[in-house]
Amino acid sequence: MTVLSLSLLELNEQVKESVKLAFSKAVWVRAEISELHENAAGHAYWELIEKEENTDRIIAKTKGNCWAFTYRMLKSYFENSTGEQLKTGLKVLISCTVEYHELYGISLNIKDIDPSFTLGDMARRRMEIIRRLQDDGVFDMNKEVPLSVTPQRIAIISSATAAGYGDFMDQLANNSGGYAFYTKLFPAVMQGEQTVNSIIQALDKIYTHQDKFDAVVIIRGGGATAELSSFDNYDLAFNCTQFPLPIITGIGHQRDESILDLVAHTRAKTPTAVAEFLINNMEEAAEKLAEVQHYILSLVEGRMQEENHRLQKILIQFPHLVSTQTRRKKETINLLQHKLSNNLRHLLTTKKNSLALMEKEVILSSPDVLLKKGYSLTLKNGKMVKSISQLKQGDNITTRLIDGEVKSIVK
Amino acid sequence: MAKKTYTESITEIEEILGQIENEELDVDILTEKVQRAAELIKLCKEKLQKTDTEVQKILDEIEG
Repeated sequence: MTVLSLSLLELNEQVKESVKLAFSKAVWVRAEISELHENAAGHAYWELIEKEENTDRIIAKTKGNCWAFTYRMLKSYFENSTGEQLKTGLKVLISCTVEYHELYGISLNIKDIDPSFTLGDMARRRMEIIRRLQDDGVFDMNKEVPLSVTPQRIAIISSATAAGYGDFMDQLANNSGGYAFYTKLFPAVMQGEQTVNSIIQALDKIYTHQDKFDAVVIIRGGGATAELSSFDNYDLAFNCTQFPLPIITGIGHQRDESILDLVAHTRAKTPTAVAEFLINNMEEAAEKLAEVQHYILSLVEGRMQEENHRLQKILIQFPHLVSTQTRRKKETINLLQHKLSNNLRHLLTTKKNSLALMEKEVILSSPDVLLKKGYSLTLKNGKMVKSISQLKQGDNITTRLIDGEVKSIVK
Repeated sequence: MAKKTYTESITEIEEILGQIENEELDVDILTEKVQRAAELIKLCKEKLQKTDTEVQKILDEIEG
Protein backbone atom coordinates (compact mmCIF):
# COMPACT_ATOMS: atom_id res chain seq x y z
CA MET A 1 0.00 0.00 0.00
CA THR A 2 1.44 3.44 -0.86
CA VAL A 3 1.30 6.15 1.86
CA LEU A 4 1.49 9.78 0.96
CA SER A 5 5.07 10.79 1.46
CA LEU A 6 7.49 13.53 0.72
CA SER A 7 11.09 13.37 -0.15
CA LEU A 8 13.37 14.84 2.42
CA LEU A 9 14.20 17.71 0.10
CA GLU A 10 10.49 18.35 -0.38
CA LEU A 11 9.95 18.34 3.36
CA ASN A 12 12.81 20.69 3.98
CA GLU A 13 11.66 23.01 1.25
CA GLN A 14 8.24 23.15 2.84
CA VAL A 15 9.74 23.87 6.18
CA LYS A 16 11.78 26.58 4.54
CA GLU A 17 8.65 28.21 3.15
CA SER A 18 6.88 28.04 6.48
CA VAL A 19 9.74 29.59 8.25
CA LYS A 20 9.96 32.34 5.67
CA LEU A 21 6.33 33.13 6.17
CA ALA A 22 6.41 33.01 9.94
CA PHE A 23 9.60 35.02 10.23
CA SER A 24 9.42 37.47 7.34
CA LYS A 25 11.02 40.18 9.41
CA ALA A 26 14.01 40.20 11.74
CA VAL A 27 13.32 39.44 15.39
CA TRP A 28 15.12 40.50 18.54
CA VAL A 29 16.34 37.49 20.48
CA ARG A 30 17.92 37.18 23.92
CA ALA A 31 20.52 34.46 24.11
CA GLU A 32 23.85 33.48 25.58
CA ILE A 33 26.93 33.01 23.42
CA SER A 34 28.32 29.53 23.92
CA GLU A 35 30.67 29.64 20.95
CA LEU A 36 32.03 32.36 18.73
CA HIS A 37 34.57 32.00 15.91
CA GLU A 38 35.77 34.28 13.21
CA ASN A 39 37.17 32.82 10.02
CA ALA A 40 39.89 34.24 7.83
CA ALA A 41 37.45 36.22 5.75
CA GLY A 42 36.01 37.85 8.82
CA HIS A 43 32.72 35.97 8.92
CA ALA A 44 31.56 35.09 12.40
CA TYR A 45 30.03 31.78 13.39
CA TRP A 46 28.12 31.67 16.62
CA GLU A 47 26.46 29.13 18.79
CA LEU A 48 23.67 30.52 20.91
CA ILE A 49 22.07 28.86 23.90
CA GLU A 50 19.56 29.44 26.61
CA LYS A 51 20.06 28.04 30.06
CA GLU A 52 17.38 27.32 32.60
CA GLU A 53 17.59 29.95 35.34
CA ASN A 54 18.40 28.03 38.45
CA THR A 55 19.82 24.79 37.08
CA ASP A 56 22.05 26.05 34.28
CA ARG A 57 20.69 23.26 32.12
CA ILE A 58 20.74 24.10 28.42
CA ILE A 59 17.18 24.21 27.14
CA ALA A 60 17.63 25.77 23.71
CA LYS A 61 20.44 25.93 21.21
CA THR A 62 20.72 27.41 17.74
CA LYS A 63 23.55 28.22 15.39
CA GLY A 64 24.02 31.70 14.09
CA ASN A 65 26.18 33.59 11.67
CA CYS A 66 27.17 37.12 10.93
CA TRP A 67 28.75 38.12 7.67
CA ALA A 68 32.04 39.93 7.73
CA PHE A 69 30.70 43.30 6.59
CA THR A 70 28.05 43.37 9.30
CA TYR A 71 30.19 41.70 11.90
CA ARG A 72 32.98 44.28 11.60
CA MET A 73 30.62 47.10 12.48
CA LEU A 74 28.66 45.13 15.03
CA LYS A 75 31.79 44.11 16.84
CA SER A 76 33.24 47.62 17.20
CA TYR A 77 29.84 49.05 18.11
CA PHE A 78 29.51 46.50 20.88
CA GLU A 79 33.05 46.98 22.18
CA ASN A 80 32.81 50.75 22.19
CA SER A 81 29.55 50.66 24.07
CA THR A 82 30.42 48.07 26.67
CA GLY A 83 34.18 48.24 26.85
CA GLU A 84 34.16 44.49 26.45
CA GLN A 85 34.87 42.18 23.57
CA LEU A 86 32.22 39.84 22.20
CA LYS A 87 32.99 36.46 23.64
CA THR A 88 31.51 33.30 25.03
CA GLY A 89 29.59 33.58 28.23
CA LEU A 90 28.06 36.94 27.40
CA LYS A 91 24.32 37.37 27.29
CA VAL A 92 23.31 39.35 24.22
CA LEU A 93 20.27 40.86 22.59
CA ILE A 94 20.54 40.39 18.85
CA SER A 95 18.39 41.19 15.92
CA CYS A 96 18.35 38.35 13.42
CA THR A 97 16.49 36.78 10.61
CA VAL A 98 15.54 33.14 10.92
CA GLU A 99 16.64 31.05 8.04
CA TYR A 100 16.15 27.51 7.20
CA HIS A 101 18.38 25.77 4.77
CA GLU A 102 17.55 22.36 3.36
CA LEU A 103 21.06 21.21 3.97
CA TYR A 104 22.25 23.11 6.98
CA GLY A 105 19.10 23.37 8.99
CA ILE A 106 18.02 26.39 10.93
CA SER A 107 20.27 29.30 11.66
CA LEU A 108 20.01 32.86 12.71
CA ASN A 109 21.56 35.51 10.60
CA ILE A 110 22.59 38.27 12.91
CA LYS A 111 22.03 41.80 11.73
CA ASP A 112 22.25 43.94 14.83
CA ILE A 113 22.97 43.94 18.54
CA ASP A 114 21.79 45.94 21.53
CA PRO A 115 24.76 46.43 23.86
CA SER A 116 22.71 47.91 26.70
CA PHE A 117 21.17 44.49 27.27
CA THR A 118 24.61 43.01 27.76
CA LEU A 119 25.62 45.93 29.93
CA GLY A 120 22.56 45.37 32.03
CA ASP A 121 23.42 41.72 32.35
CA MET A 122 27.02 42.47 33.16
CA ALA A 123 25.96 44.96 35.77
CA ARG A 124 23.59 42.43 37.27
CA ARG A 125 26.32 39.83 37.42
CA ARG A 126 28.70 42.30 38.99
CA MET A 127 26.16 43.19 41.64
CA GLU A 128 25.71 39.51 42.37
CA ILE A 129 29.43 39.01 42.84
CA ILE A 130 29.70 42.10 45.00
CA ARG A 131 26.81 40.91 47.14
CA ARG A 132 28.38 37.51 47.46
CA LEU A 133 31.65 39.05 48.65
CA GLN A 134 29.76 41.22 51.11
CA ASP A 135 27.78 38.29 52.43
CA ASP A 136 31.00 36.38 52.87
CA GLY A 137 32.10 39.25 55.09
CA VAL A 138 35.32 39.75 53.15
CA PHE A 139 34.50 42.78 51.03
CA ASP A 140 36.37 45.31 53.19
CA MET A 141 39.15 43.11 54.51
CA ASN A 142 41.98 44.39 52.37
CA LYS A 143 40.92 47.97 53.06
CA GLU A 144 41.48 47.29 56.74
CA VAL A 145 45.07 46.18 56.30
CA PRO A 146 47.15 49.11 57.53
CA LEU A 147 49.23 50.90 54.93
CA SER A 148 52.68 51.93 56.07
CA VAL A 149 53.31 55.65 56.49
CA THR A 150 56.12 55.30 53.98
CA PRO A 151 55.37 52.50 51.54
CA GLN A 152 58.66 52.11 49.74
CA ARG A 153 58.97 48.38 49.07
CA ILE A 154 56.53 47.63 46.27
CA ALA A 155 55.59 44.28 44.70
CA ILE A 156 54.31 44.95 41.19
CA ILE A 157 51.92 42.68 39.34
CA SER A 158 51.92 43.64 35.71
CA SER A 159 53.26 42.59 32.37
CA ALA A 160 56.73 43.78 31.48
CA THR A 161 55.41 44.71 28.08
CA ALA A 162 52.21 46.21 29.37
CA ALA A 163 51.54 49.81 28.64
CA GLY A 164 51.83 51.52 31.93
CA TYR A 165 54.51 49.42 33.58
CA GLY A 166 57.35 51.28 31.93
CA ASP A 167 55.87 54.67 32.75
CA PHE A 168 55.20 53.60 36.30
CA MET A 169 58.80 52.56 36.88
CA ASP A 170 60.02 55.77 35.27
CA GLN A 171 57.90 57.93 37.54
CA LEU A 172 59.13 56.20 40.68
CA ALA A 173 62.77 56.29 39.64
CA ASN A 174 62.71 59.94 38.65
CA ASN A 175 60.36 61.45 41.23
CA SER A 176 61.13 65.09 41.95
CA GLY A 177 61.40 64.59 45.69
CA GLY A 178 64.19 62.10 45.27
CA TYR A 179 62.35 59.52 47.36
CA ALA A 180 63.69 55.99 47.39
CA PHE A 181 61.52 53.09 46.22
CA TYR A 182 62.35 49.41 46.07
CA THR A 183 60.44 47.40 43.49
CA LYS A 184 60.11 43.85 42.24
CA LEU A 185 58.04 42.82 39.22
CA PHE A 186 55.94 39.67 39.43
CA PRO A 187 54.95 39.23 35.79
CA ALA A 188 51.41 38.24 34.90
CA VAL A 189 49.14 38.20 31.91
CA MET A 190 46.92 41.22 32.07
CA GLN A 191 44.57 40.52 29.15
CA GLY A 192 42.47 37.63 28.01
CA GLU A 193 41.45 34.33 29.49
CA GLN A 194 44.59 33.63 31.48
CA THR A 195 44.43 36.87 33.39
CA VAL A 196 42.68 35.66 36.52
CA ASN A 197 44.88 32.62 37.08
CA SER A 198 48.02 34.50 36.21
CA ILE A 199 47.38 37.25 38.72
CA ILE A 200 46.42 34.79 41.44
CA GLN A 201 49.67 32.94 40.86
CA ALA A 202 51.62 36.17 41.17
CA LEU A 203 49.80 36.94 44.42
CA ASP A 204 50.70 33.51 45.76
CA LYS A 205 54.34 34.16 45.02
CA ILE A 206 54.30 37.51 46.73
CA TYR A 207 52.57 35.94 49.71
CA THR A 208 55.61 33.82 50.51
CA HIS A 209 57.74 37.00 50.59
CA GLN A 210 55.22 39.27 52.23
CA ASP A 211 57.58 40.51 54.93
CA LYS A 212 59.80 42.04 52.25
CA PHE A 213 57.13 44.38 50.94
CA ASP A 214 54.97 47.26 52.12
CA ALA A 215 52.31 47.01 49.39
CA VAL A 216 51.23 45.24 46.20
CA VAL A 217 50.47 47.20 43.08
CA ILE A 218 48.39 45.76 40.22
CA ILE A 219 48.71 47.91 37.14
CA ARG A 220 47.80 47.83 33.49
CA GLY A 221 47.47 50.55 30.92
CA GLY A 222 44.13 51.36 29.35
CA GLY A 223 43.16 51.37 25.71
CA ALA A 224 40.19 50.65 23.49
CA THR A 225 40.55 46.91 23.62
CA ALA A 226 41.36 46.73 27.27
CA GLU A 227 38.63 44.64 28.78
CA LEU A 228 37.72 44.57 32.39
CA SER A 229 35.80 41.36 32.81
CA SER A 230 38.77 39.46 34.22
CA PHE A 231 38.93 42.01 36.99
CA ASP A 232 35.27 41.43 37.83
CA ASN A 233 36.04 37.81 38.59
CA TYR A 234 34.89 36.49 41.94
CA ASP A 235 37.93 34.28 42.67
CA LEU A 236 40.40 37.05 41.94
CA ALA A 237 38.49 39.51 44.10
CA PHE A 238 38.18 37.02 46.94
CA ASN A 239 41.89 36.31 46.80
CA CYS A 240 42.63 40.00 47.14
CA THR A 241 40.35 40.52 50.10
CA GLN A 242 42.33 37.87 51.93
CA PHE A 243 45.73 39.26 51.08
CA PRO A 244 47.90 40.36 54.02
CA LEU A 245 49.42 43.35 52.25
CA PRO A 246 47.49 46.39 51.06
CA ILE A 247 46.68 46.14 47.35
CA ILE A 248 46.69 49.24 45.18
CA THR A 249 45.08 48.96 41.75
CA GLY A 250 45.75 51.11 38.72
CA ILE A 251 43.85 49.43 35.93
CA GLY A 252 43.09 51.78 33.11
CA HIS A 253 39.69 51.33 31.59
CA GLN A 254 37.03 53.41 30.01
CA ARG A 255 34.34 52.02 32.24
CA ASP A 256 34.41 52.98 35.89
CA GLU A 257 35.54 50.41 38.34
CA SER A 258 36.11 46.72 38.32
CA ILE A 259 35.26 44.58 41.32
CA LEU A 260 38.95 44.27 41.99
CA ASP A 261 39.08 48.06 42.26
CA LEU A 262 36.21 47.95 44.74
CA VAL A 263 37.84 45.45 47.09
CA ALA A 264 41.38 46.79 46.85
CA HIS A 265 42.83 48.84 49.70
CA THR A 266 43.32 51.82 47.44
CA ARG A 267 42.22 52.39 43.90
CA ALA A 268 43.79 54.69 41.36
CA LYS A 269 42.57 55.18 37.81
CA THR A 270 45.81 54.48 36.00
CA PRO A 271 49.34 53.23 36.66
CA THR A 272 50.45 56.87 36.61
CA ALA A 273 47.96 57.71 39.31
CA VAL A 274 49.31 54.85 41.44
CA ALA A 275 52.84 56.20 41.13
CA GLU A 276 51.57 59.64 42.12
CA PHE A 277 49.82 58.17 45.13
CA LEU A 278 53.00 56.47 46.31
CA ILE A 279 55.13 59.56 45.76
CA ASN A 280 52.55 61.70 47.54
CA ASN A 281 52.75 59.51 50.60
CA MET A 282 56.47 60.09 50.78
CA GLU A 283 56.01 63.82 50.36
CA GLU A 284 53.54 63.90 53.21
CA ALA A 285 55.94 62.00 55.43
CA ALA A 286 58.75 64.39 54.52
CA GLU A 287 56.53 67.39 55.23
CA LYS A 288 55.51 66.04 58.57
CA LEU A 289 59.16 65.51 59.48
CA ALA A 290 59.95 69.08 58.54
CA GLU A 291 57.00 70.31 60.60
CA VAL A 292 58.08 68.33 63.62
CA GLN A 293 61.61 69.59 63.30
CA HIS A 294 60.39 73.16 63.03
CA TYR A 295 58.03 72.75 65.95
CA ILE A 296 60.68 71.30 68.25
CA LEU A 297 63.01 74.15 67.37
CA SER A 298 60.40 76.78 68.13
CA LEU A 299 59.47 75.08 71.40
CA VAL A 300 63.07 74.97 72.49
CA GLU A 301 63.63 78.58 71.44
CA GLY A 302 60.60 79.57 73.42
CA ARG A 303 61.79 77.68 76.43
CA MET A 304 65.25 79.22 76.23
CA GLN A 305 63.75 82.69 76.00
CA GLU A 306 61.72 81.97 79.09
CA GLU A 307 64.78 80.90 81.01
CA ASN A 308 66.60 83.99 79.82
CA HIS A 309 63.79 86.25 80.98
CA ARG A 310 63.75 84.58 84.34
CA LEU A 311 67.43 85.21 84.71
CA GLN A 312 67.10 88.83 83.58
CA LYS A 313 64.33 89.44 86.05
CA ILE A 314 66.48 88.25 88.88
CA LEU A 315 69.46 90.25 87.75
CA ILE A 316 67.40 93.44 87.48
CA GLN A 317 66.01 93.02 90.91
CA PHE A 318 69.36 92.23 92.41
CA PRO A 319 70.80 95.76 92.89
CA HIS A 320 67.38 96.85 94.08
CA LEU A 321 67.29 94.02 96.51
CA VAL A 322 70.79 94.79 97.64
CA SER A 323 70.10 98.48 98.14
CA THR A 324 66.91 97.71 99.96
CA GLN A 325 68.81 95.49 102.29
CA THR A 326 71.46 98.10 102.70
CA ARG A 327 68.91 100.77 103.22
CA ARG A 328 67.19 98.67 105.79
CA LYS A 329 70.41 98.00 107.58
CA LYS A 330 71.26 101.66 107.50
CA GLU A 331 67.90 102.52 108.93
CA THR A 332 68.37 100.02 111.67
CA ILE A 333 71.73 101.44 112.49
CA ASN A 334 70.33 104.95 112.48
CA LEU A 335 67.62 103.90 114.79
CA LEU A 336 70.06 102.29 117.10
CA GLN A 337 72.29 105.32 116.97
CA HIS A 338 69.40 107.51 117.79
CA LYS A 339 68.36 105.32 120.65
CA LEU A 340 71.87 105.22 121.88
CA SER A 341 72.30 108.96 121.90
CA ASN A 342 68.94 109.39 123.52
CA ASN A 343 69.83 106.97 126.21
CA LEU A 344 73.16 108.54 126.63
CA ARG A 345 71.66 111.96 126.92
CA HIS A 346 69.17 110.66 129.32
CA LEU A 347 71.90 109.04 131.30
CA LEU A 348 73.96 112.16 131.27
CA THR A 349 71.03 114.24 132.39
CA THR A 350 70.30 111.83 135.13
CA LYS A 351 73.88 111.75 136.21
CA LYS A 352 74.07 115.50 135.98
CA ASN A 353 71.05 115.78 138.15
CA SER A 354 72.36 113.45 140.74
CA LEU A 355 75.64 115.20 140.53
CA ALA A 356 73.89 118.50 141.03
CA LEU A 357 72.05 117.02 143.90
CA MET A 358 75.23 115.73 145.32
CA GLU A 359 76.82 119.07 144.83
CA LYS A 360 74.07 120.70 146.73
CA GLU A 361 74.43 118.23 149.43
CA VAL A 362 78.10 118.78 149.51
CA ILE A 363 77.68 122.46 149.55
CA LEU A 364 75.08 122.29 152.20
CA SER A 365 77.19 120.05 154.27
CA SER A 366 80.25 122.19 153.77
CA PRO A 367 81.49 123.63 157.12
CA ASP A 368 81.95 127.00 155.52
CA VAL A 369 78.23 127.41 155.34
CA LEU A 370 77.99 126.71 158.99
CA LEU A 371 80.98 128.84 159.81
CA LYS A 372 79.36 131.67 157.96
CA LYS A 373 76.35 131.21 160.06
CA GLY A 374 78.47 131.72 163.15
CA TYR A 375 79.16 128.22 164.07
CA SER A 376 82.79 127.35 164.85
CA LEU A 377 84.93 124.33 164.68
CA THR A 378 86.93 123.36 167.66
CA LEU A 379 90.14 121.47 167.00
CA LYS A 380 92.55 119.85 169.41
CA ASN A 381 95.89 118.88 168.03
CA GLY A 382 94.48 119.26 164.59
CA LYS A 383 91.62 116.92 165.32
CA MET A 384 88.04 118.02 165.54
CA VAL A 385 86.41 118.08 168.91
CA LYS A 386 82.90 116.83 168.90
CA SER A 387 82.32 116.24 172.53
CA ILE A 388 83.37 117.88 175.83
CA SER A 389 84.64 114.58 176.93
CA GLN A 390 87.51 115.01 174.58
CA LEU A 391 88.66 118.11 176.56
CA LYS A 392 90.19 118.59 179.92
CA GLN A 393 91.41 121.61 181.78
CA GLY A 394 94.51 123.09 180.32
CA ASP A 395 94.12 121.67 176.82
CA ASN A 396 95.18 123.87 173.93
CA ILE A 397 92.33 124.17 171.47
CA THR A 398 92.03 125.95 168.19
CA THR A 399 88.73 127.54 167.27
CA ARG A 400 88.21 127.98 163.63
CA LEU A 401 85.90 130.76 162.52
CA ILE A 402 84.96 131.76 159.05
CA ASP A 403 87.69 134.24 158.78
CA GLY A 404 90.46 132.76 160.88
CA GLU A 405 91.48 130.79 163.93
CA VAL A 406 91.65 131.58 167.65
CA LYS A 407 93.92 129.68 170.01
CA SER A 408 92.64 129.16 173.55
CA ILE A 409 93.22 127.21 176.68
CA VAL A 410 90.46 125.35 178.39
CA LYS A 411 89.66 126.63 181.84
CA MET B 1 71.49 48.02 68.22
CA ALA B 2 68.49 46.95 66.18
CA LYS B 3 67.67 49.33 63.36
CA LYS B 4 64.66 51.37 64.22
CA THR B 5 61.83 51.37 61.77
CA TYR B 6 60.53 54.67 60.47
CA THR B 7 57.39 54.36 62.51
CA GLU B 8 59.30 53.56 65.71
CA SER B 9 61.51 56.60 65.15
CA ILE B 10 58.55 58.89 64.60
CA THR B 11 56.93 57.56 67.75
CA GLU B 12 60.01 58.36 69.78
CA ILE B 13 60.25 61.85 68.26
CA GLU B 14 56.64 62.50 69.21
CA GLU B 15 57.32 61.30 72.74
CA ILE B 16 60.18 63.77 73.07
CA LEU B 17 57.95 66.48 71.64
CA GLY B 18 55.37 65.75 74.30
CA GLN B 19 57.97 66.01 77.02
CA ILE B 20 59.26 69.34 75.76
CA GLU B 21 55.71 70.69 75.48
CA ASN B 22 54.99 69.81 79.09
CA GLU B 23 57.91 71.97 80.20
CA GLU B 24 58.91 69.52 82.85
CA LEU B 25 62.42 69.24 81.50
CA ASP B 26 65.46 70.68 83.12
CA VAL B 27 67.53 72.73 80.68
CA ASP B 28 70.35 70.17 80.57
CA ILE B 29 68.00 67.29 79.90
CA LEU B 30 66.27 69.44 77.30
CA THR B 31 69.51 69.68 75.38
CA GLU B 32 69.96 65.92 75.51
CA LYS B 33 66.44 65.27 74.28
CA VAL B 34 66.70 67.79 71.47
CA GLN B 35 69.91 66.16 70.29
CA ARG B 36 68.27 62.76 70.30
CA ALA B 37 65.31 64.13 68.36
CA ALA B 38 67.65 65.70 65.81
CA GLU B 39 69.40 62.34 65.39
CA LEU B 40 66.13 60.56 64.81
CA ILE B 41 64.89 63.17 62.35
CA LYS B 42 68.10 62.83 60.39
CA LEU B 43 67.64 59.05 60.32
CA CYS B 44 64.08 59.37 59.06
CA LYS B 45 65.06 61.81 56.34
CA GLU B 46 67.69 59.36 55.16
CA LYS B 47 65.19 56.53 55.06
CA LEU B 48 62.97 58.62 52.84
CA GLN B 49 65.57 59.64 50.33
CA LYS B 50 68.76 57.70 50.53
CA THR B 51 68.55 54.43 48.65
CA ASP B 52 69.43 51.43 50.76
CA THR B 53 71.09 49.04 48.33
CA GLU B 54 70.69 46.16 50.75
CA VAL B 55 66.92 46.38 50.55
CA GLN B 56 66.88 46.39 46.77
CA LYS B 57 69.30 43.47 46.71
CA ILE B 58 66.97 41.38 48.83
CA LEU B 59 64.11 42.07 46.46
CA ASP B 60 66.21 41.39 43.38
CA GLU B 61 67.08 37.97 44.71
CA ILE B 62 63.44 36.84 44.71
CA GLU B 63 62.66 34.67 41.71
CA GLY B 64 60.29 36.62 39.50
